[in-house]
Amino acid sequence: MYRPMTRKSFLANGGKAFVGASLAGTLLAGCGGQEGGTGELTYWSALEGAGPRRYYKENIEKPFEKANPGIDLKVQFQSPEDLDRTIRTALQGGEGPDLVPTPGPSFALEYIDANLFIELDEYAEQYDWQDKILGWALESGRLEGKLYSVPTEFETMLLYYNKSLFEEKGWEPPRDRDELESLAEEAQGQGIVPFSAGSADWRPTPEWFMTIFWNHYSGPEALYQALTGEVPWTDPVFVEAVDLHNQYFQNGWYGGSVEKFFSTGSDAYHTQFGDGEAAMNMEGSWFLFEVDNFFGQAAGNDNEWDWAPLPSLVDEVPLQIFELGIGSTLSINQRSQVSDAAAKYINWLFSDPERAAQRMADVPAVFNIPIPIEREDFPSNMDPRVADVLATLSEVTSKGNFGYTTWTFWPPKSDVYVYEGMEQVLTGDTTPGEYCAELNRIFKQELNAGEIPPIIRPETA
Amino acid sequence: MPAEQPALEVPEERAASPERPSRKRAGRTPRQRRRTIMAWAFMLPLVIVNLVVIVGPAIATVYYSFTEWSGIGPAEFVGLQNYRQMLTSGEFYEALLHNIIWTGIFLTVPIAMGLLGAFLLSQITRFQMLFRIVYFIPYVIASVVNASIWENLLDPERGIGPALASIGVPFLDGVAFFGDQRLALPSVAFVDNWHWWGFVLVLFLTAMQSVDRDLYDAAKVDGASRWHQFRHVTIPGIRPTLVFVMLMTIIWSLLVFDYIYILTQGGPAGATEVVATLMYKEAFARFEAGYAAALGLGMSFVSGLIVLVFLYLRRRGWEI
Repeated sequence: MYRPMTRKSFLANGGKAFVGASLAGTLLAGCGGQEGGTGELTYWSALEGAGPRRYYKENIEKPFEKANPGIDLKVQFQSPEDLDRTIRTALQGGEGPDLVPTPGPSFALEYIDANLFIELDEYAEQYDWQDKILGWALESGRLEGKLYSVPTEFETMLLYYNKSLFEEKGWEPPRDRDELESLAEEAQGQGIVPFSAGSADWRPTPEWFMTIFWNHYSGPEALYQALTGEVPWTDPVFVEAVDLHNQYFQNGWYGGSVEKFFSTGSDAYHTQFGDGEAAMNMEGSWFLFEVDNFFGQAAGNDNEWDWAPLPSLVDEVPLQIFELGIGSTLSINQRSQVSDAAAKYINWLFSDPERAAQRMADVPAVFNIPIPIEREDFPSNMDPRVADVLATLSEVTSKGNFGYTTWTFWPPKSDVYVYEGMEQVLTGDTTPGEYCAELNRIFKQELNAGEIPPIIRPETA
Repeated sequence: MPAEQPALEVPEERAASPERPSRKRAGRTPRQRRRTIMAWAFMLPLVIVNLVVIVGPAIATVYYSFTEWSGIGPAEFVGLQNYRQMLTSGEFYEALLHNIIWTGIFLTVPIAMGLLGAFLLSQITRFQMLFRIVYFIPYVIASVVNASIWENLLDPERGIGPALASIGVPFLDGVAFFGDQRLALPSVAFVDNWHWWGFVLVLFLTAMQSVDRDLYDAAKVDGASRWHQFRHVTIPGIRPTLVFVMLMTIIWSLLVFDYIYILTQGGPAGATEVVATLMYKEAFARFEAGYAAALGLGMSFVSGLIVLVFLYLRRRGWEI
């Protein structure tokens, strides 16, 4: 397999001979790279929206360059839908940015297998990342004991509820399965959709709910065993979770009906939720970024929102489980001539908790990096509900109470089947048992091919 | 010993025909050679571009279709495995069936609408240009915009269904056009047709305007009705355009992607999956780029076959 030489190793070997040194100098001049981790540093970002992009320029790019004279950070924004395709093409062609983002560990795994990322262990030791980054986050970037990527945006699943509607009806956020189902029945009886939902503009939406049901019904321990190949997906604990999820759908609790779920887009169901036509919304922490657009004056209603942890659906599963999801990772291109500068950027992101907390406060959900953080670390002007999510998540997951999101820990083909196959369950074309059997078949193939991303053990948190 | 064969005699007028140039290059004049070189010089940039952006990737696609490749890193040669997988995959045949249904819809609905609209427009002179522009506008609007408009209009909660219900016309209320497995494919086809049929109309109208007016006058003298004029004068008069549109409709229907991807992404439960969306999913979601290449070549083969049949029939004297 072709293994391109890194600049560091090139310099180390090249320094032994005059000719080598001359050649190294020529190459560095050609690439604009310099000694000591300086030079032009390229980064392609999937950041969406003019606001966050402007914020990035002012509050990340400029301060980073100011703190690191000699590094010229060149950021190019692309849509998240296009970025991975663009990066695949560029990396395959021997190009691409110095700092390479991916949509998650299973995507990063492919690039690691193709030897396109450098190992980060030396940098991790040099900059003490084990003290700056949450344990599970660092583990998710390791393959066979070597660190290749660092998560730069983490997420979890939450139960959002229309607080004003709940106060009006005298409801409380559900704490277990009985309360959840009673509340859903009561809401539906009053003509209110229990859970706003739809997949018209994001077809993988059903995997959010399977993530919830597998973690809160089957439990993280069972999932860990299944993801590591110890138990099959046909185990009754997984089939029952699929069946329960299907029952909720057939009851019309999600979006009103299966057909409406398939044909409703996110703007429509978020509006429904904000207006009080739906009581709750099971969605990821990414919704924190735009939830205020659907409540209060901005949305033309007087409603308020709040959130609660998703309830455990069986007694055996701990009460507070937060599924871990990684929205993006950052790695360093094997061909980068400025890998030291790239490592400085990654380190800068994680180095100042106060600055990181300010970013999380200013643009909710977008800049959520996995660092140890407590409530008092957040600025006083931060929305207390958002601060509560982040502090609770940091606290609970550091104790090992975390679950697994399908888009982060399932290999690619299995992940696609999780939501596409679920559509067939919802339409009645497939039974929960058949669904799990097919998932098991696909998963086994990927397991045998070594395509499973790193699965974090709870004790490594 | 075989009998002596009579020498083949070439008719004198054919052998000496000045219209049939000699194949011998030696017979070319310097001027002709210069013209040939000039022609190639003008064509060369296009040939190079074609080699780089079409022929090169096409050859690469053929190669990758015989490999197991994720789209990144080295590809492993697996022979015909991807083609075997394609030919035994229920998912592929279901997607192909949807392509065939789609082709059937687009060979009938927009062509019938285009023919009728063009014929009616050809009968008027005032405001004809205005109508042509109005019908053509959807075609020049980006597919994403068109799809978004219709996605909102056909929303089961906030679209035209509930709006009509509020004024006492409830038959579309709550209908999930893109969410119901039975309705999803025809609903997406409806949206695509909305932007497509105006283009077909303009093509037919242009063709109809080149039909000799004397033929219509003669038909009228013979007592032909409007329908008979349409059937026996207009249709034969625009046959080349009609056949061209039908041929392109078949090819484009086999390659359809954009409206389906924007509106349903192949769902719900595969109800709108066509081979192009399946191919995209294999390449960029399941990371089976080798298999996706085989799917792409499979569809190219089917399209090529249709073109060959068309050319064959033409050679056999069919007026198409």
